[in-house]
Amino acid sequence: MMKHAWLPLSIVGIALWAVVGSSIHADAPKIVPPVAKDQPAKTAPVVAVAKPAAVPAKSGQPLAIDAAIALDEPTVSSLASSPCDDLTFLRRVHFDLVGGPPTVAEARAFLADKDSARRSRLIDRLLANPDHSWYWSQVLDAWWMERRPAKHVDAKLWRDYLRDSLAQGKGLDTLVKEMLTADGTDEKTRPAARFVLDRELDTHLVVRDISRLFLGANLQCAQCHDHPRIDNYKQAHYHGLLAYFQRTYLFDDPKLKKKVLAEKADGEVEFQSVFDPKKITRKRAPGVPGGPERPDPVLAKDQLYISAPAKEVRGVPRHSRRSLLANDLTAGKALARNLANRFWAQLLGKGVVHPLDQIHEDNPPSHPALLDSLTETLLQARYDHKALLRVICNSAAYQRGGEARAGQPKNAEDRLLIARLRPLSPEQMGHALLFATGQVEAERKALGAKATPEAVWPRVEAQAAPFIAVLAAQPGNPDQFEARLEQALFLANHGHLQQFLPPRPGNLMERLLAEKDPAKAADELYLAVFTRLSSADEKVEMARALQEKDKQTALRDLLWALLGSAEFRFIG
Amino acid sequence: MRPEIARYACNSPEHTLNRRSMLGVLGGGLATATSAGSLLANPLARQHKRVLMVFLSGGVSQLETWDPKPGAPTGGPFRAIPTSAPGVHICELLPYTASQMHRLALVRGVNTAEDDHGKGSHIIHTGRRQEPSLEYPHLGSVAAKFVADADNPIPGYLNVVPGGGGGSNAADAAFLGPRYGSVTISDGRAPANIDRPVDPLREQQRHDLRRAADQRFMARRKSAQTEAYTQTYDQALQLMQKKALFDLTSEPAKLTESYGTHDFGRHCVLARRLLEGGAPFVKISHTNYDTHHENFDFHIEQLAEFDKPFATLIEDLHQRGLLSTTLVMVVSEFGRTPNINRNYGRDHWSKAWSVALGGCGIRGGSFCGKTNAQGTEVVDRQVHGGHLFATYLKALGLDPAKKYYVDQRPIPMVDPTGSPIGEVLS
Repeated sequence: MMKHAWLPLSIVGIALWAVVGSSIHADAPKIVPPVAKDQPAKTAPVVAVAKPAAVPAKSGQPLAIDAAIALDEPTVSSLASSPCDDLTFLRRVHFDLVGGPPTVAEARAFLADKDSARRSRLIDRLLANPDHSWYWSQVLDAWWMERRPAKHVDAKLWRDYLRDSLAQGKGLDTLVKEMLTADGTDEKTRPAARFVLDRELDTHLVVRDISRLFLGANLQCAQCHDHPRIDNYKQAHYHGLLAYFQRTYLFDDPKLKKKVLAEKADGEVEFQSVFDPKKITRKRAPGVPGGPERPDPVLAKDQLYISAPAKEVRGVPRHSRRSLLANDLTAGKALARNLANRFWAQLLGKGVVHPLDQIHEDNPPSHPALLDSLTETLLQARYDHKALLRVICNSAAYQRGGEARAGQPKNAEDRLLIARLRPLSPEQMGHALLFATGQVEAERKALGAKATPEAVWPRVEAQAAPFIAVLAAQPGNPDQFEARLEQALFLANHGHLQQFLPPRPGNLMERLLAEKDPAKAADELYLAVFTRLSSADEKVEMARALQEKDKQTALRDLLWALLGSAEFRFIG
Repeated sequence: MRPEIARYACNSPEHTLNRRSMLGVLGGGLATATSAGSLLANPLARQHKRVLMVFLSGGVSQLETWDPKPGAPTGGPFRAIPTSAPGVHICELLPYTASQMHRLALVRGVNTAEDDHGKGSHIIHTGRRQEPSLEYPHLGSVAAKFVADADNPIPGYLNVVPGGGGGSNAADAAFLGPRYGSVTISDGRAPANIDRPVDPLREQQRHDLRRAADQRFMARRKSAQTEAYTQTYDQALQLMQKKALFDLTSEPAKLTESYGTHDFGRHCVLARRLLEGGAPFVKISHTNYDTHHENFDFHIEQLAEFDKPFATLIEDLHQRGLLSTTLVMVVSEFGRTPNINRNYGRDHWSKAWSVALGGCGIRGGSFCGKTNAQGTEVVDRQVHGGHLFATYLKALGLDPAKKYYVDQRPIPMVDPTGSPIGEVLS
């Protein structure tokens, strides 16, 4: 019954795909991308919002994001909300590229910048900032390890590895390859093996997570039979992935005194469907879904091993199926498509395909040309994540405002016509509390000339950790927003937040107490906490606080109130 | 043992009045009410359903509790005694409980076919065997979602545990979502961070400022998520005002004496206070019944500690008018072997054991299911975890045939091979 309900949708999806797909790589798109011409020039400063979209796609170049969205959603030219203002953009892009809000000084500087290319220049600046690699290594850690406890690999070394890889501009495909091939014997590459080692080489868990996290296709329900509801998810797909890992085993390295990965040269995957009354057993060679089967090369018996497994001897086959997986997984477009979808979801609050691990024909992308555009961008940039982030952040879709426009449909957010109100991730929220209170600036001030990212970030991370712990998902699960009582109790009452509120050299409260003019104090507060200027009401509220006998307590409560508000918890 | 008049721990009507009960009170007999206590307690008690799970950890022996076999080679040394329910005999180790049997029901044909502690516990909490592909929500999470009054700030699934540790276990809620997960009440202490860091006046002021900020923002931008988020702070405030629920010192001395001052006794008092305060699901545990050695000595000791507080709790709930709306279950991972091993112990036995039920939706004094003379097999009306789960839902007025939809996938609320046990339902 479910199937029939889905059928019309899937036909539409396929039809759309065919229509859109044929025009994607045409020399110039027929539909003119939307430019921000309906924006009233006198209220908002002119800014080059949709620059990449205005450049027609060259032959072989991916269609620009906004042009792709215009194909998927033709009403965008008439119904899209106006671009967001500069400060909203500043807050958004700071959270997305460096993981926290801008300081008041940064906000004031951006307000003063009159260059029409200020937004794209800011994007470039943030991408070049070392803070970017620090923050995005947290993002990738949460994506791929899902807050599992460290068992065999030091979590810090793993984070260092991710950060160094991002800072070096290592392609994400190379990163994934290293994670699948590292065997843990070399201290230099051992951190990359954490993906497998800290899942204890539970092969079913590893296969499930490779399918979810790298292919965006959760094959778990196809382990014992073809997926009951999803035609594309076959039992043979699951076992094709399993075959790459079947021969790998955990080995206690006698010298390192650590678990490492070893591999045998034999062992075949066989499976039966629990739904098959005849119980036919099928063999499966390795292969990624949709790719060819990869039979073993024929090797003479004495040629099977570089080092044959024995007591205290780690097995190393001449033909490693696990290494083969690293190649096969990165050969097609599936990895890029999945990553493109996850980057989009991270920045826009929802995947083009949603849920993120349900890429299949019956769950078509909301904007197929957009997903193609993002995928091709990543592929052409050789999996350089910064190239993808740069294109997304420069798009009109990313810079859309949050004010509704007359005639917009109810699902305007899903149709990318208006900015989605999205919650901060646990990391973003943790950082936000430390940045908004000026705690990070105070730390920097205390460190003086020694305030390098290497010195500041570990402090920020340690101080953000209790916030993250109360907001994050259970280990082994992806984060999802949940408003929970114990989170509110923690933020309202626990001393961890309260300690950052009193004055300290360089922090917000110190500046507020020094400011006599209520209007200026209000702007200082609202720029620090919400990255916006204060309203007339808010200036009055501030004036009232400054008149109280116990000014510091009044300011402390006002600051806490803003930190506990929805405007702080969400990105508008 | 008539307890002192039911009253709310905080002694303040504002703290317990929520919008729904306010309507109930106003619609009901305001004029006839004589005290704030009776005014509040009864309308609430009539309106809201709740669940009390008593978990006898380790696997209590059915032969030393609900299904004695005196005289049989497997029966052990204890007698069976008559109870307040005609025709129902239970083990002599439960004399106080025997006087409450007219309010309880027995299911004596339980076969959960699972002798592993963890897996047996899973069946008892979820009504299902563990499946690799899908986690199912605990009964507590189901109650938190479907029985709880949305306005009540008390977390929906409270798990009172004897030892240390705390926090919440969001995983218990599975696909229902983390907010329905269990909150651990460690040794009966109030949840973490329930104390306000500032004085009450400032507390109010800073939350007023927060609400004002939210109003300004949500006039421009809002979503279901922003509403849920802002609401949690108000729930937190309400829960903080209910902190006194966790303070047992206001209970009359005579009553606490009746419950007993040991951990289980105190947890029984706390359970009653929480249920009375509107908690939809409270689990208390008594440990340890895993009696591979010296089964009989251990059961004498353990059940002596269990019997009086439990019976007091049933009586107390009844006297406060809460029992008819509180579904009670006394469960374990499994029962114990009829065979007595050479250490005078009994081992794990899931093939033929018993569960006691009571309160909301349950017919007091009823019983169902029968084991053979030696207690080795169920000979009449065999049921498994799915039947028990279906019975719980039915007793609470929920439809066990309903389905959840998880990513559009239909998931029956109850294992479809289990149906409600009509014989014990009222």
